Amino acid sequence: MQGKSVLRAVSLVLIGLFFLFPLFWVFLMSFMTNADILRNPPSVIFSPTLHNYGALISGNLGTVVGTQKIDYMLNLFNSFVLSSGSVILSLILGVPAAYAFARFKFRLGEDMAFTLLSFRFAPPLLVLLPLLIYFQQMGLYDTYFGLIWVYQLITLPLVLWIVRGYFEDVSEDIELAYRLDGHSWLQTFLRISIPLARPGIAAAALLSFIFAWNNFIFALILGSSSVQPVTVGALAFITASGIEYGQIAAALVLSIVPTLILALFTQRYLVEGLSLGAIKG
Amino acid sequence: MAFLEITGLNKAFKGHAIIRDLSVAVEKGEFLVVFGQSGSGKTVLLRLIAGMLQADAGDVRLDGQSLLGVNPEYRDIGMAFQNYALYPHMTAFENIASPLRSRNVPEDEVQKRVHDTARLLRIDHVIDHLPRALSQGQKQRTALGRSLVGRPAVLLLDDPLRNVDAKIRYEMRLELPRLLRSFESTVIYVTQDYKEAMALGDRIAVLVDGTFQQVASPHAVYDAPNNTRIARLFGDPPINLLSVRPAGTAHGLTMRIADTMVALPQTDEALVGRECMLGIRSENVGVSLESTSGIPVTIDAITPLNNRLVMLLRCTDGTEVFASCPQGGPLEGLRGRHQAWADFDLAHALFFDTNDGARL
Amino acid sequence: MPNPAAATMAVSHAKRRSGARMARILPYLLSLPALLTCIGILVPFFSAVYYALQRYNLAFPAGRKFIWLDNFVQLFLSGEFWHTITISLLYTALTVGLEMLLGLAIALLLWRRSFVTNLLSVALILPLMVAPEIASLMWKLMTNANFGILSYFVSVIGIHDFRWASAPQSALFTVVLVDMWVYTPFISILLLAGLRGLPRQPFEAAELDGVPTSFVFFRIMLPMLLPYMLTAGLFRMLDSIQQFDIIYAMTQGGPGNTLMVFQIQAYLQAFTFTNIGRASAILVVLWAITFALSKVFMKNWLRLRERAHGLA
Repeated sequence: MQGKSVLRAVSLVLIGLFFLFPLFWVFLMSFMTNADILRNPPSVIFSPTLHNYGALISGNLGTVVGTQKIDYMLNLFNSFVLSSGSVILSLILGVPAAYAFARFKFRLGEDMAFTLLSFRFAPPLLVLLPLLIYFQQMGLYDTYFGLIWVYQLITLPLVLWIVRGYFEDVSEDIELAYRLDGHSWLQTFLRISIPLARPGIAAAALLSFIFAWNNFIFALILGSSSVQPVTVGALAFITASGIEYGQIAAALVLSIVPTLILALFTQRYLVEGLSLGAIKG
Repeated sequence: MAFLEITGLNKAFKGHAIIRDLSVAVEKGEFLVVFGQSGSGKTVLLRLIAGMLQADAGDVRLDGQSLLGVNPEYRDIGMAFQNYALYPHMTAFENIASPLRSRNVPEDEVQKRVHDTARLLRIDHVIDHLPRALSQGQKQRTALGRSLVGRPAVLLLDDPLRNVDAKIRYEMRLELPRLLRSFESTVIYVTQDYKEAMALGDRIAVLVDGTFQQVASPHAVYDAPNNTRIARLFGDPPINLLSVRPAGTAHGLTMRIADTMVALPQTDEALVGRECMLGIRSENVGVSLESTSGIPVTIDAITPLNNRLVMLLRCTDGTEVFASCPQGGPLEGLRGRHQAWADFDLAHALFFDTNDGARL
Repeated sequence: MPNPAAATMAVSHAKRRSGARMARILPYLLSLPALLTCIGILVPFFSAVYYALQRYNLAFPAGRKFIWLDNFVQLFLSGEFWHTITISLLYTALTVGLEMLLGLAIALLLWRRSFVTNLLSVALILPLMVAPEIASLMWKLMTNANFGILSYFVSVIGIHDFRWASAPQSALFTVVLVDMWVYTPFISILLLAGLRGLPRQPFEAAELDGVPTSFVFFRIMLPMLLPYMLTAGLFRMLDSIQQFDIIYAMTQGGPGNTLMVFQIQAYLQAFTFTNIGRASAILVVLWAITFALSKVFMKNWLRLRERAHGLA
């Protein structure tokens, strides 16, 4: 019995170490100077510096060959625009559809929901290649709107399937009661159905934001540096900043902090969101 | 013309008829109880009247106007739901105020009418609570208040006492008629409880298999049910149904019940020689421990029920018959099997067709 | 004489009676925007299929022509594509297999609630919320030959000059490790939710009866957990077979063509060789695989979903 609980404790520590150490270490690196980073053996004792973050925020990066201007902040800003824009568009498109899908059992709704879902699992490049050609013809290449529209591929199924589950849980009797009180369908939808499904809508919105934020391939293909989010920006940044490892670490930290904070808020809904509502968390 | 008129209503789901050819006329201010067991189509009927579902055929007319295709919000119908259907994110006050808000009633009048209604229903002390902070009885009263406050032309009450505890149910059964009369509402009240139906209704509409098989006063439904199905639904213990074949003799009609010939007070010639079902309620079966001219039986079991004693009798041919009598008689405290004699009060006998169960 | 009151009555009547018609078209009206988005996705999909049947190279626009299944025939005749298939399947099998094992182990360890396990189950969410591509960059920093902390660790235990993703021998191992870091928590969290949703009685009964732990595990728990494992496993398979972000960020398919999985190969064909036709053909093959997998997945997923919503 004793040996068993020791084994259990050791396993828990190892698991914690494996999953948290990389985050911890990169976080530490982001406060190190290059000299601290290159020290052998590595040490967790060093005098922390905010220089790396300062350089990133000002956009003037010190490299071996001199100062270089890199607008990593623009990438962060783009991530915010793209993610928020995608979430808003997804809610506008998805919430009414989720309601229709939950309330009225109709063929088209079923087909639609499954088409969207099946493309959630299709290789993204398959759709992106033709889209790149179309977008260049239509002038949507390298625009926020074009990217936000493509992001619906990830965020819309999420909204549709999570919110649908919550609408299904809203009692039809409550809606009927409100109608009989003399309110129109739209008033009932806005004042009863939506508020009652709000936890689901909030969860879907937060999760969609995270998923959109973490997307890489869409913007890699359909945008150039002016609209690219941090995921694509970080890769370019590594190439550009060369061996300024502290700055790279700081850039990575900046790119994950927003989603990590959101994740801590959404952990209650996470299971449901990750499994598209297949398992209620 | 009646105030609320439902004619030839039909509704099917996936080819399965739920409501078939249902008609009824309700007078203004009437209290109509719709009685039916679960699965009889009550919920669908209410939804058709409320406008949540569209009928396949037939019409619902209110004060002469057809309600076909009219949205629920324009129907002037109030409804209290079995599960209350309160708005969980609004206080009891806002729940009750909802019908007034939709009509842009001025704030001071909303305040007045909601508080008046709440006082009448004795929930004014919890008026600022959210539904989750209310007891079952308070929820039920809030739901009732919401359906009443707008003084709708027709009030639909969907088994409103189903989910409240026995005490409140009893109180409300006494209180509801008075309350509803004060609102001068035309009421359609749905219940699964025949006693509730008998206690509350001006008339009872018996819903069986999606249609009203009888619409009549509580007395008429009990004393003269249209068929055996209705007869069985009312009464506890259920009505006794025995196969008989009345015969004509010089002294009038007679028939054989469990090897004993009994005379019938009725002189309906149509019954002569006809195979039919005799229906007789337990309270019309007298039991005596002394030998009488009655039918010899064995008392198999005795159990008290609502101030009465209910007995299961077994006739000589094995036929089982329920009898009941007021408590406190010589039968009180009897244990085990006993030889006895049963007297059928055939003045209250009902006769039904053996095949379709219709009353003759 | 015209009656104004009657006229307003008629108007309000028309409005009152919109009910039935409205009820019929409302679902379509509500889902129209999402439907248009759907069509917006289907159009490029069919375009891709169309491209796959063409000789279509952006460098030689004049040579564009319809060649039916030629792209596919050439693909299957080339060793390069078979390498892509092999490495993609290997990657999928390794990641899904290892993540399932580790994920199940973690879920079982965290099953019993305590302060530590609750803390750890929150901590597990963190890697999952890091963009896979950013996670790869983090691991790149940690496996750097000059200063990487992991390179230092392996040198401490006596393995010198371990080159992680830059050596063909260890590249697959490295990306699988990163994939595990990112996605194992997904499986753990799903299985943990499944475990916590299991009915208590069978386990209590087994404990009372003194049934051996191994029997409880293999005969009671695993069968009950199977639908969750199937859903999680299929979900991960669908992601793994089309992995792009991690491999692209770590090695861009290299070293050489060591990690040339489907989407990396297609990316290379499209953007380095501007061969849209061939790239599309590769993607169509990949799509066929994912489509079949997603059919199986959705069947399972729907069943679990119904259970979660208490419909079944």
